[in-house]
Amino acid sequence: MTASLSRRRFLSGTGIAALGLTAPSLLAACGGGSGGSAGDGTGKVDLWLDIQGDANQKYFNDKVAAAFEQANPKIDLNTTFYKGDDLRRLVQTALQSRSGPDIVRGPSATQTIAWSKAHVLGDLTPYAKKFGWKDKLSSWAVDAFTTDGKLYALPMRVDTMLLYFNKTLFEKQGWKQPTDRASLEGLAAEAMGKGIVPFGSSNVDWKAAGEWLMTVFWNHFSGPDALRQALTGEIQFSDPVFVDAVALVKSWFDKGWIGGGVDKYFAVPSQEIGANFGKGTVAMIPQGNWFMNQVGQYFGAKAKNENDWDWMPMPALRSEVKYPLFEMGIGGSLAINEASKNKDAAAEYLNWYYGDKTAALQRMAEVPTTYNIPIDFGDTDIPQTIDPRAGRVLTSLNKAVSTGDYGFVTWTWWPPKTDVFIYEGLEQVLTGKLTPADYCKQLAQQFSTEKADGNLPQLPAKGPAK
Amino acid sequence: MSVTAAPASTGARRARWRAAVVGWAFLAPLLLLNALVVLGPSVATVYYSFTDWSGLGPATFIGFDNYVKAFGDAKVHEALWHNLVWFVLFLSVPMAMGLLGAYLLSQVKRGQMLFRALYFIPYVIASVVNAAVWKMLLSPTSGVLAQLGIDQSWLGDTRTSLLSVNFVVDWHWWGFLAVIFLSAMQGVDPELYDAAKMDGASAWQQYRSVTLPGIRPTMVFIVLMTVIWSLKAFDYIFIMTQGGPAGSSEVVSTLMYKQAFNEYSAGYAAALGLSMTLVTAVILAFYQWMRKKGWEDA
Repeated sequence: MTASLSRRRFLSGTGIAALGLTAPSLLAACGGGSGGSAGDGTGKVDLWLDIQGDANQKYFNDKVAAAFEQANPKIDLNTTFYKGDDLRRLVQTALQSRSGPDIVRGPSATQTIAWSKAHVLGDLTPYAKKFGWKDKLSSWAVDAFTTDGKLYALPMRVDTMLLYFNKTLFEKQGWKQPTDRASLEGLAAEAMGKGIVPFGSSNVDWKAAGEWLMTVFWNHFSGPDALRQALTGEIQFSDPVFVDAVALVKSWFDKGWIGGGVDKYFAVPSQEIGANFGKGTVAMIPQGNWFMNQVGQYFGAKAKNENDWDWMPMPALRSEVKYPLFEMGIGGSLAINEASKNKDAAAEYLNWYYGDKTAALQRMAEVPTTYNIPIDFGDTDIPQTIDPRAGRVLTSLNKAVSTGDYGFVTWTWWPPKTDVFIYEGLEQVLTGKLTPADYCKQLAQQFSTEKADGNLPQLPAKGPAK
Repeated sequence: MSVTAAPASTGARRARWRAAVVGWAFLAPLLLLNALVVLGPSVATVYYSFTDWSGLGPATFIGFDNYVKAFGDAKVHEALWHNLVWFVLFLSVPMAMGLLGAYLLSQVKRGQMLFRALYFIPYVIASVVNAAVWKMLLSPTSGVLAQLGIDQSWLGDTRTSLLSVNFVVDWHWWGFLAVIFLSAMQGVDPELYDAAKMDGASAWQQYRSVTLPGIRPTMVFIVLMTVIWSLKAFDYIFIMTQGGPAGSSEVVSTLMYKQAFNEYSAGYAAALGLSMTLVTAVILAFYQWMRKKGWEDA
């Protein structure tokens, strides 16, 4: 038996069926209506996180999730772990379809603004008032996630850039820690002459690694004052003080100082660079404080060497720039999904996570940098059990905030498209497709456009912050 | 005398109606699935390509702005050029190797299955695994060629990045083609070879005049699919270079991904995607036209 189904009838039938099915979803996508609710403060709360590695995930499950559930037995914290890049894409797609986790692990401040503007994040202002979050968290970090008086996310981790060095290599070579450009360049030239790559760096595993370098050079060459002026629109990013910083980066690449040269920077995996750092064929690595959680694997018995590591502040690359100086920023955010059916319970978790200072400091001591949430604490509050190198990061940042000697990381204070251009455009500069001047000119244009759209987080006031 | 056709009986009409209903009922689950996961997103893509949608929240209609922008976007031009280079290499290298491999395999009388399996292995390994392994093998400091003293950053040099990724894709693909061509070759009538031999044809002449025409439909199909796959090239490039360095291995699909997820320009990405779909449609139409002209069977 054959059904008489002509091609024309088949196409018209499927077309109508499809239109009927897709029209509601299209309307839902274009329209508003979150469908979220506060809930009754109990029940299941979904959290998607990008914590990697069995040990790290176990720590979170045991010391965070289990501890929270013990303190709040009526709430079930259901955590799912994803890879960093995958998580952002998944969360973004889920938010758009009004689904996803109750607690949103978001990207950096500027990108979280884009999510907030799309009305997919819940307003945390009432919870902030109810739980007194503004007294518990550092104001400079909370303000970065506040637009028009509305708090849309909480800052997840304090970021800064450090210059890691192979301590054993330095001792063996009789090298002193450089504090200015002359001593740093002298050391780099000497290392290069001995067949040691001065600065390990690669963008193979993290495309955006280029912005780490630009963060370092713009802060320690151009300086935080120039950056503040540019970020507030007083001067342009095409100013020579920024162009010269880019030219300096390029010149170091051309000398083979960074990553062994441009072509290797684009091709050598970061694991290999780490291994070479441990062995002593790479002398220093300019990296974020989060690297402290991984750097240990390249040193000692595990890595089959007898070397040790430490970190130092990035030397000042121009005499007008202060030393030591720490660029400040926020690595990621925690927000509540506007579509969540259980917002109150999600807020209870956030309050527990940020509210217990002793527990938070204990986590900071046990796992270097991963749990460095921006809360106010004194140096004496830090548990004695902390690795002294990790402890020094906390005290240094405390001091930088209190004295006002801090700079700005690109992934927190630059708008999203400009932020992408920073590392995409840098590749063009390094491969000779763009001059530093043209790169900065395009950067300035992109920044002006986004600034006009209001896609900038609130900068901390000049001087000591809180 | 006139003859009038007898009206269809009610029973016959009912039977036809029942047949149609049963046909639709069998098709319905698949149609529903197709509408949800293929047609729905396709319609949405068309809609969003005419908006400034960021990928989140509401979208504003902006007419043909995205298409106008794409037309003049140097990044798109460069990516399209890379797609073309990719296509030429992806078509010629694996095809030539596949034909050669199939011919050589056809001459093997013992252990043919083993060779077939060996040829097939790279194809069945997940692209993520292949790409990750080759990324290490091509490392300029610890890779295989680096150990042999060749100082070249295959994936980090703008002159070689696209070619290097294409090499890996060709490597994983040619064995599959060899097996496909071998199957096609086995379908060629042996009497044609006997006749050619009787006429004194050499091995090369037999291959050119009997084998190649005999597997022509398979070759044409592979060419068509290669065009489509070249336009869709994404996974190996994204894993191995992410389109870099400096866009030197960027193709339209990786550019589209970056626009949608990194630059919050999902509307523009939709326009790029749809443009590529139109290019594919034109190629398919051309293929159908050629088929009708008898090109495939000539």
